[in-house]
Amino acid sequence: MIESSIKSSVEFWRWEEYNRIMPGKKWTSKDLITAGVDVGSVGSKAAIMVNGEAYSWGITRTGSNSPESAKKVLDWALRDTGLKVSDLKYIVGTGYGRVNVPMANKAITEIACHAKGANYIWGSSVRTVLDVGGQDIKAIRSDETGRVVSFLMNDKCAAGTGRGMEVFADLLKIPIEDIGGISLKVDEEPPPVSCTCVAFAKTEAMGLLRKGWSKEKVLAAYTRAMAVRMANLINRVGLEKELVITGGQSKNIGIVSRIEVILGVKCLPMPNWRENGLDPMVAGAFGAALFAKALYEKAQKP
Amino acid sequence: MIAVGMDLGTQRVKAVVLKDGAVMSRGQAFSGFDPTDAAEQAVEEALKQVHLQKADVAYFVATGSAIEMAPYANSTVSMMSADAKAGIYLFQNARTIIDVGAEEARAVKCDENGVMVDFVVNERCAAGAGTFIEAMARALEVKLEEIGPLSLKAERASPINASCVIFGESDVVSLIHRQESKPEIARAVFDAMADRISSMVHRIGVNPEVIVVGGVAKDVGFIASLNRKLGLNVLIPDYPDYAGALGAALIATSRAKEVQK
Amino acid sequence: MKTEKVEKKYMPEIPRREIDELRNSITAASQKIITENIERMKKADPNRPEAMKYFDEMANIFGPRQKEIAAEKEKGKKVIGYMCLFAPTELISAADAIPVKVSSGWYDTSKLGDRVVPVEVCPVIRSTIGAKMIELSPFLELSDALISVLTCDGMTKLSEILSDYKTIWGMNVPRVKDADHSLRFWNDEIRKMKTQIEKFTGNKITHKNLKAAIEQTQRATRVFRRLQDLRKGPPVIMGRDAMLVNQAYLWDDKKRWTEKTEALCDELEKRKQRKEWVCPPETPRVLVTGTPMYWPDNWKLPALVEEANPKGIIVADELCSGERILNDPVGVDEWNMEDMLNAIGERYLMASTCPCFTSQDGNEDRINWLLTKVKEWNVQGVIYYVIRGCMLYAMEYARIKKALDKINIPVYYLDTEYTREDVGQMKTRVEAFLEMLTARVDF
Repeated sequence: MIESSIKSSVEFWRWEEYNRIMPGKKWTSKDLITAGVDVGSVGSKAAIMVNGEAYSWGITRTGSNSPESAKKVLDWALRDTGLKVSDLKYIVGTGYGRVNVPMANKAITEIACHAKGANYIWGSSVRTVLDVGGQDIKAIRSDETGRVVSFLMNDKCAAGTGRGMEVFADLLKIPIEDIGGISLKVDEEPPPVSCTCVAFAKTEAMGLLRKGWSKEKVLAAYTRAMAVRMANLINRVGLEKELVITGGQSKNIGIVSRIEVILGVKCLPMPNWRENGLDPMVAGAFGAALFAKALYEKAQKP
Repeated sequence: MIAVGMDLGTQRVKAVVLKDGAVMSRGQAFSGFDPTDAAEQAVEEALKQVHLQKADVAYFVATGSAIEMAPYANSTVSMMSADAKAGIYLFQNARTIIDVGAEEARAVKCDENGVMVDFVVNERCAAGAGTFIEAMARALEVKLEEIGPLSLKAERASPINASCVIFGESDVVSLIHRQESKPEIARAVFDAMADRISSMVHRIGVNPEVIVVGGVAKDVGFIASLNRKLGLNVLIPDYPDYAGALGAALIATSRAKEVQK
Repeated sequence: MKTEKVEKKYMPEIPRREIDELRNSITAASQKIITENIERMKKADPNRPEAMKYFDEMANIFGPRQKEIAAEKEKGKKVIGYMCLFAPTELISAADAIPVKVSSGWYDTSKLGDRVVPVEVCPVIRSTIGAKMIELSPFLELSDALISVLTCDGMTKLSEILSDYKTIWGMNVPRVKDADHSLRFWNDEIRKMKTQIEKFTGNKITHKNLKAAIEQTQRATRVFRRLQDLRKGPPVIMGRDAMLVNQAYLWDDKKRWTEKTEALCDELEKRKQRKEWVCPPETPRVLVTGTPMYWPDNWKLPALVEEANPKGIIVADELCSGERILNDPVGVDEWNMEDMLNAIGERYLMASTCPCFTSQDGNEDRINWLLTKVKEWNVQGVIYYVIRGCMLYAMEYARIKKALDKINIPVYYLDTEYTREDVGQMKTRVEAFLEMLTARVDF
């Protein structure tokens, strides 16, 4: 795990790892239980579905070992459910580490899985999905069944990715789960930082702090720059409503609100994932679990 | 005649005190959010060591990336000129000076008088400077001062993404998972850096003697890779991270003399 | 001919030791890559055609062909290298000289090229410069003279830089094709080149030997088309294999290449009859178009496509390193010198779909070619491949995308560099694109 990178007692960049079982959901041995495991470069997610309905999921930080991360997060998703890995009829692996999910029956790219997952979370009206992951950004156009129509990726540069945000949270000593809200605490939106490179944006930020800018203002400037990049990517793939945001940064309200302003369009509302709603960070794993169901059913046909 | 040179770098401020052109003392402080304050501290520290005060100093010259934040300076000088001057002072035969700092690398070509003749800067990418090593050491979960010696144990290097600090980090992580040995990964880090820096230096031509200064010069792993890449043995002075401040101080000395005339 | 003692305008002085060291290490590395590429191609088709064995041998550009050309040089033959497909190879062959294309497919040498030109410059150009610096390219080194065609900015300046070492004849291409005076101008260039080659080789280009040279190229064109036609139906040959065969023409002996390719086609015909497909017919059929893909390092993308999960197969390409080489014959009406030279001029100018050209309707030839290919080869998706730094191909993308959108063919813009580092990132994109093309990931 990369946890030893910061030696301080409070690790600002660390976001919450957790698992959840959907309230009121059950499973029986007659049900078709499938799983999706999404091993990203920063976060690993696993989802268990019962007959295509979300049952439980888990999110952990990806360690240095992909197969182990896959195992760990799947165990998290299974925790307290009474299920074992052997109860899962079909498992699809996805994400950057998809070829290293040892228990998977098949690997499918995260592009297809996020489109499918977004369709599951928000419904058939979704046409554009922005997935902001740990180390890349994807803009996906999908149809009413959640199938990919076209896509664009930006993975040549860490700017705008979750890692970039972690670096800033660490720099400004703000817990990462708060940076979204804090970036909005400005009276007037400052100009965006000019350096997109995370390493240099950090230096630029330090310079701004020296000039007397508040943390909020610096964060706003960086967040705006990143939101502009993401909006550009969406425009290049072609924006069609409804637009949704998945991946870790979907929880960054500073990014989401700015994208909405720049594009002049409102995203579909975020489910209340803290309580009993589906977590958009898990969209890829949901999509993978749904593909698992379809593939299993296809295999059963004579 | 006392002259002081200050080098306001992105990570640290270094100060050097010269008396009649000879090094008396050195001081440093972390730049943090306030390089001006750090510069004051660095100079104070250096002066205290030889029981001097600011008032005793005839001339201050500032250099470095945060040059405009110098608390007091009679004049400034570019890092390139400072490097050239320091290079000749430290090694009479120095003709190419490579300065690798925390966030920037540069190479300077000079003549036998320490006059800068050509230079090239690599500022667009953090992957060619000290930041890269720090990030990779973190990813490898070794101390910064250990990654150099570690790399010397390797006979070959694993392939890593040398184009971005962030991606390089995750490459390192996945190499560890693929059970590549840490020494080989460490060596890859230095080979990648040496590669970039060597390309940069070739643009102005590699004229021996080549000396390397800046904080990164202290890293044995980097120097080993650089020697391999350049096909020669570079020279490293003592206190290589003070080269910029030394150069500034030497220039302060000659400028003070000009003023006195 | 210039010798190395002449003062170089561009190139730095490099110690002989360094040249030799780098050349040896990069040659060894390149031979490894060639071997690896072939291994992977063999794995992809366990029942690979026998005839491919010959091309596998030719694939080692440091091997038999280099030796062969060197032997011919010993006997007094001249070698004339060319940088671009516009060079009229028939004239070279007619003058009893050996034509060989000089293309740089080495990633490692592009870094060396950085010493002479900035990194923003086309990687293919930088790679060529680097290769010359360390005397790496067998065919470039063997060339007694070079024909350079001043198509794009990179090519234009490259010829200046290479003139530090070799005699270079630059051919001017008129950027606007469809004008009478353009063709007249180009035909003048052709005649000028004829005279130049004659003077250089000391051999006269006669009616007889030019006719023979043209007829040879026509034969090559016929078998080349035969090979591509065999890729129209369910796959009898992997894309990478066909691409290697196509590209080998650029350095192989033309007559022998023709015979060997004919034999390959015979074998493939039999497979077609026996319905022996190299992969399931429903494998997504991909066309690649864009910047040239030179052997060996640039098999990066084709390998990704054909080894991906889900797998795809390259059934066609629109590349000057591929199907553009021999697609169009020299069409001669009257076999007299005037007409033959005009036919050559017309073939080389008018048939080209290079984006360096424009006309009233833009580069329509390229659009038409693509649309035809997509239809007749049953292409399901197009990968638009651009090596970063190429303005011309990058800028034509928008138009091509619109044209393909109209006929509902997905196209993906994939840009890359002369580097091995981005394979992981490319893999995700290629696989996602192939997933899109398959009905596999479907409810």
